[in-house]
Amino acid sequence: MSDTTINADATQILGGGEAIIEVEGVDKLFGDFQALTNINMRVGSQEVVVIIGPSGSGKSTLIRCINRLERHDRGRISVDGIELSDDIRNIQEIRRETGMVFQSFNLFPHLTVIDNITLAPRQVRNMPKREAEESAMELLERVKIPEQARKYPGQLSGGQQQRVAIARSLAMKPKVILFDEPTSALDPEMIKEVLDTMKDLALEGMTMICVTHEMGFAREVADRVVFMADGQIVEVGTPEHFFDNPQEERTKLFLSQIL
Amino acid sequence: MTIEETDSGVVRPLHSDQTPREWVQNNLFSSALNSGISVVSAVFAGLVLYFGVGWALNVDWEIVRANLRNFMIGQFPKDELWRPWAGGLALVAGVGVGSAGMARNAFDDATDKGLSTERPTWIGLLRRFWPILAFIGLVLTFTRTIQPTLGVLAGLGLFVAGRVIGWNMPHSIRRFSLHIIGLGVLALFTIVAGSGGLVAVVGGIMAASIVSTAVGDRLNRTVLGGKISALVLPALGAAAVWLVMSSINSFGYGWKEWGGLYLTLFVTVAGISTGMPLGILLAIGRRSQLPVVKGFCVMFIEFIRGVPLISLLFFSGFMLPLLFPPSAEIPDGITRAMIVITLFSAAYIAEIVRGGLQAVPQGQIEAAQAQGLSTGRIQRLIVMPQALRAVIPAMVGQFISLFKDTSLLAIIGVAEFLQIATIANTQQDFLGKGLQPITYTFVAVGYWAFAYTMSKESRRLETRLGVGTR
Repeated sequence: MSDTTINADATQILGGGEAIIEVEGVDKLFGDFQALTNINMRVGSQEVVVIIGPSGSGKSTLIRCINRLERHDRGRISVDGIELSDDIRNIQEIRRETGMVFQSFNLFPHLTVIDNITLAPRQVRNMPKREAEESAMELLERVKIPEQARKYPGQLSGGQQQRVAIARSLAMKPKVILFDEPTSALDPEMIKEVLDTMKDLALEGMTMICVTHEMGFAREVADRVVFMADGQIVEVGTPEHFFDNPQEERTKLFLSQIL
Repeated sequence: MTIEETDSGVVRPLHSDQTPREWVQNNLFSSALNSGISVVSAVFAGLVLYFGVGWALNVDWEIVRANLRNFMIGQFPKDELWRPWAGGLALVAGVGVGSAGMARNAFDDATDKGLSTERPTWIGLLRRFWPILAFIGLVLTFTRTIQPTLGVLAGLGLFVAGRVIGWNMPHSIRRFSLHIIGLGVLALFTIVAGSGGLVAVVGGIMAASIVSTAVGDRLNRTVLGGKISALVLPALGAAAVWLVMSSINSFGYGWKEWGGLYLTLFVTVAGISTGMPLGILLAIGRRSQLPVVKGFCVMFIEFIRGVPLISLLFFSGFMLPLLFPPSAEIPDGITRAMIVITLFSAAYIAEIVRGGLQAVPQGQIEAAQAQGLSTGRIQRLIVMPQALRAVIPAMVGQFISLFKDTSLLAIIGVAEFLQIATIANTQQDFLGKGLQPITYTFVAVGYWAFAYTMSKESRRLETRLGVGTR
């Protein structure tokens, strides 16, 4: 494709292998408000896709549809070959394959860090306590806070809490991790530690979809950047294409506002 | 000096860096206004104390002395009095061992987590339970024989020994601390009731619980284990319910003769321990998506909350029997009243719990869903613990209400604690002598001792669970 044509096709996988997430013709309505309109997207395994766009553009809604925190109204979503339907077993299976990291961390305040991480493996995968704790400690070392294992979330800084949340989402050994604005609730000095953790994950080959406003992260780590506005995919491209040579007026306007 | 400055001098406990003189100066006489308030309050408190104590020392407490056993246990047969005593001692020993074991578990756990905690001390226990201990002391001053004092001393000795044993026993036994308390309760029931379905029920539930604690971890590791615990435990529960239904008429030896503080406390404990789970179920039911379940729960809660407790008690006491043929066997009056009180507090607890459930952020549920947890597990492991923790103050308030509401049992002719005072006042020896202030003061002190202890314990629980801090 030439640099001058606008590319809004998000189904073409870059830098990855087989498609692991497929979204076809998805619409989502909140009452009368159309949050998503005819979204088509595919994400390959080990690919890092960053979704950007103004607030209210449907970015979060899109990734929340992928693990059925929101129910899509039309279209088809499948994760690792499992199609998302109203069947609770399908939903549970997909949720086990996908981790999610939230803007507001959503750690369980009544459980210690290690209990936060071991809860799902023990409850959902029936993993014995010792084994679950051993792998939780490995994860905590990966996010570089093993010494906080016995504390409660309320005793940690925001950056540390978000790293625990990342470790928790990894505990189920998911194939994909969905990041929903993971650094938006953090103080500036804590953003870097979380982004570094995410970069490490990307380098290790984790498949990731990140909704974020961190353009530096997008430029450095993303295989593809997807720009959304008003519930539609407006423009798709490599980070270089995207930040150096955006085509669509809407994209240029957005980038000029935030860069 | 301005009032703002007065406000900043909040009343603090005596710190080591302040002499008593400085404390008084900073907190009671920091400004002209504050000094004035302090003096007026002191004079008022002094007057109340002077006349109150003066009255208490001057009146003849003979009516309380003569009715002391009535106040404590009602018309319980004299020959069988050893039963509550022996049962009480067993309970005290069990509570001593179990509570110390639980305290040790919590202490070790906190140490393990690197939190700073203090070891429980005897002084600390005294400060926690002084109102009840003071009331027991007061009661003992009214006794005419030596046996009650000996009994209480034996109880204290057993409790102290139990605490020491409980604190020092190995972890493998401390795991069962709660069950040891349960064993105490079971012993009390067994001894007081002689025999009966209730013992079987409590024993059955306990056995199930001990088994699940002992082997639960191991069982849940396999899918088969999960199925066993999912099928067997409900089956045991069902058996327990059946036993309750079949034994509801025989709570214990001389059930119909139970009375006084003993009955009041029994109804309170039974009401709390059955009303709370029921209330939680109702709260969950009210949030259910199934219209039938939701409708039933809403109707039940709103009906109960819309009707005075007294009218429900009247209905269960006098009208319910009329609705059944004379040949039908229905539970006796006290049992029916107890069921009414339990249902009544369940409806209120349901609304309290619902408030707590609403306070749990949606993000908590989403985070758990995103991990693939099932709805039931999310409720049990994520939502409920946070919701219940948030409503401890309101919940304990409801428990205290229930405790005091048991006095309404009097209107259907049950001789509970307060009713004994009324009965004593109309005895031939004391009738028409205007002794009501004496008996009612004694009863008030008794209610206060227990209610205040509950309230203190609730605040302690709040601090320990860190309500509002994490």
